[in-house]
Amino acid sequence: MSTWHDLVTASLIGTERTVVPAVSIPGLAPAEDDAGDPAAVLLDRAALLTAARRAGRQPDHAEPLPVCEPDPRPAMNPAAGRRLARMLSGEYPELLTEWLTAVAARGLRLPPHLLPTLLDRARRALPVDAGLPRLLAEAGGPRVRWLAGLNPDWEHSVEEPATDDETWRLGDARQRRGYLTSLLARDPDAARALITGSWDAAGAAERAMFLSALAGALDPADEPLLETALDDRAEDVRRWAAYLLARLPGSALGQRMAERALRYVWLEHAAQGPRLSVGPPGRPDAALQRDGITSRPDLVRVPLESRSQVLLEVLARTPLRAWTDGFGLAPPEVVALPSGGWAPVLFAGWSRAATAQGNAAWMTALIRAALTGRRPGTTAEIEALRQLVRRADPGRGAPGATPESADAPDVSPPIRDAVRVLRFRYTMLKELDDE
Amino acid sequence: MLTLAPDASSLRAAQPLASGRSWPLTGAADDRVLWGEYLGRAATPYRTVVDLSGPAYRCSCPSRKFPCKHALALLLLWSDGAVGRDAAPPDWAATWIAGRAARASDTRDSRPPADPAAAQRRAEQREARVATGLTELDRWLCDQVRQGLAVSQRSGYRHWDDIAARMVDAQAPGLAERLRALAAVPYSGPGWDARLLEEYALLRLLATACRDQAALPPPLRDTVRSRVGFTVRQADLLASATPVRDHWHVLARRDLDRDRIRTRRSWLRGQRTGRTALVLSFAAVGQSLDDSLAVGTVTDADLAFYPGTVPLRALVAARRDTVSCGPPPGRTVAGLLAGYAAALGEDPWLDTWPAVLTATPARVPLPCLYDTSGEALPLHPGAGDCWPLFALSGGHPLTVAAEWTPRGLWPLTAWDGDGMVVPL
Repeated sequence: MSTWHDLVTASLIGTERTVVPAVSIPGLAPAEDDAGDPAAVLLDRAALLTAARRAGRQPDHAEPLPVCEPDPRPAMNPAAGRRLARMLSGEYPELLTEWLTAVAARGLRLPPHLLPTLLDRARRALPVDAGLPRLLAEAGGPRVRWLAGLNPDWEHSVEEPATDDETWRLGDARQRRGYLTSLLARDPDAARALITGSWDAAGAAERAMFLSALAGALDPADEPLLETALDDRAEDVRRWAAYLLARLPGSALGQRMAERALRYVWLEHAAQGPRLSVGPPGRPDAALQRDGITSRPDLVRVPLESRSQVLLEVLARTPLRAWTDGFGLAPPEVVALPSGGWAPVLFAGWSRAATAQGNAAWMTALIRAALTGRRPGTTAEIEALRQLVRRADPGRGAPGATPESADAPDVSPPIRDAVRVLRFRYTMLKELDDE
Repeated sequence: MLTLAPDASSLRAAQPLASGRSWPLTGAADDRVLWGEYLGRAATPYRTVVDLSGPAYRCSCPSRKFPCKHALALLLLWSDGAVGRDAAPPDWAATWIAGRAARASDTRDSRPPADPAAAQRRAEQREARVATGLTELDRWLCDQVRQGLAVSQRSGYRHWDDIAARMVDAQAPGLAERLRALAAVPYSGPGWDARLLEEYALLRLLATACRDQAALPPPLRDTVRSRVGFTVRQADLLASATPVRDHWHVLARRDLDRDRIRTRRSWLRGQRTGRTALVLSFAAVGQSLDDSLAVGTVTDADLAFYPGTVPLRALVAARRDTVSCGPPPGRTVAGLLAGYAAALGEDPWLDTWPAVLTATPARVPLPCLYDTSGEALPLHPGAGDCWPLFALSGGHPLTVAAEWTPRGLWPLTAWDGDGMVVPL
């Protein structure tokens, strides 16, 4: 409507410097020449046109989006949807992976309106957590793929299992990793052959990537490769190899750690009953360093701290069977043995071993000990408890499964948080099974 | 229930408190009032009462959050079925409940002003002040157009704040609010000059209409006076208006923070009368707003409408049952535009109009909603990407409640394929 543009232009310039354009509105007689203040005349004509333009607004036309294919999975119940909203707004965000895995396993449909926030979360998690995009693709189904296709920001937020070996030959590091992970799930032998075949030609970053991909599909057949990698030139590769070997049941590294651990910690039968005695190691020797344990440079000047740190690292890598078999005791009995001032180191070391080895009986025994007995006090213990309650069997959070004493008003924050996490995990998983 | 929490952290704080062990005494009466004593670290238990019909809360704890975590925990217990029903409230709870009932009937009373002559004098003084203010505003508006709008673009916020402050002095707060909102227009992207001219033109129209109000028909006079800032007292409205009883569907709500005041706009539609209503509630920033009208529910209520040519704003005069409800019937784009055009004929200053559409979102050429006939309306640029709306749609039509403005649709509520309500 050129009349309107003329009015806007005149108002921009100012009626001091220009004349007021005439206005014609269909169905309305043209305004008579007004002898008043030109500024007032302009405003009056603009008011008339504004109302006319707003009332006479014509609709636009749009290009429809592609239609998303249907998702046959049932919707989750509203309570579970509300819990996702709470987790996305900051309540236990670290439990999102466990929750999404459970949703995908139960074949439930996510509430669509929360998918944008999940996609943003996955984008921010990259490249550190490449698992979230894969998990989101699985749990989110066709709707999340459709949505991610609308916004370039979400290009990498959803990762499909890459099955095309073009990806392996031509893809970037992230895509190659995706291909390898999906091949490990589909055909582990082929994936291992691919790793050993590419090992010598691969750069240090890529060798570390191979090992990190193995973390989700560890198998005794990987041991020879990992043993070799302990002597790798690159520190990153050596660290990954030691980390994985410590988690591999029956590995030679685990055996070496068990021998060391039983040398440092032994069972004594005192007058008051059995107790643990500790003779901590000195500086890590070459063999210990090869197995992934080095002195923390910040602790070298504090010999006792440094020695207990080395002990903790050894315990964290020791197969837990070493203790039960060695002492002939069940996990709760080992955990309950008095050990004096070394108790915090033993608790933290065992806890790290239990979470790394996924040992449910030990996790239960350690959580119970922390909630009912001596309360965790050191930073290492508190962190170990934090990890325990996030990995333990969620049934630990069932009503009545946590000790009454954990609800007392004077209980310390780490204990209170631990109980809350257990209960939250129990409820969030149980909720998914509710109608 | 979760929406009653003032923020996520209050809710987090409430969860661990919702354990029967910490509540030696709880009870509920008539499915309307809950009470309980919370035994925490304090020497005496905290006494908490919740009136679900408000909802309203009272707790003896020192928390300034509202509702506090104890009230939320009590609600959690109650929703878990852990609170015994049909009990007699203890004295401390009964006192508060009775006090609330008394106050509720109090506010319904229309008490005559203490001194009619003084009130009359004050009203005349105000009319005179507003008239002076209107003359000043008219002069100011003409000055803007005389110098050219390009000048105002360079003058910064102060330019509008000054004239807005003078309208506050002239006791015309409606004009002041409109003027303050203009400060953002020069920075609102291409087309700012046209938007500023529209607003200046409508302001002059309002100023001249108010100056000549004696010549206007009564409903239009009411519209003009309310837009200038003359308010009708709630008691007077309840005494004079004929309440409209209907089952009111709460379609949408939008909260705005401005000048340390939070305003909640709740849009309602009557299922029998088809009338639309706008219920406003206010709170200081940081305080929680009235939650009694939950989006997606239907309330059997009497509404008293403020007078005007397009009576939208209303007051809840009486409430009965509230039930959940599926999506309201959606309209077409043509129907929405026709309704808005008709309303503009009565009230040219109307720039926020309720819309319920059955439509599909699209992104090209601009983010918009289109109906089955292919007619589209743009989304308001200030409403952001509206990704949840797209995610809910999946390329299919859905029911959306929105505010229609000259700049586009501001989506507020959507109903998903299963008829579940989703505030956007």
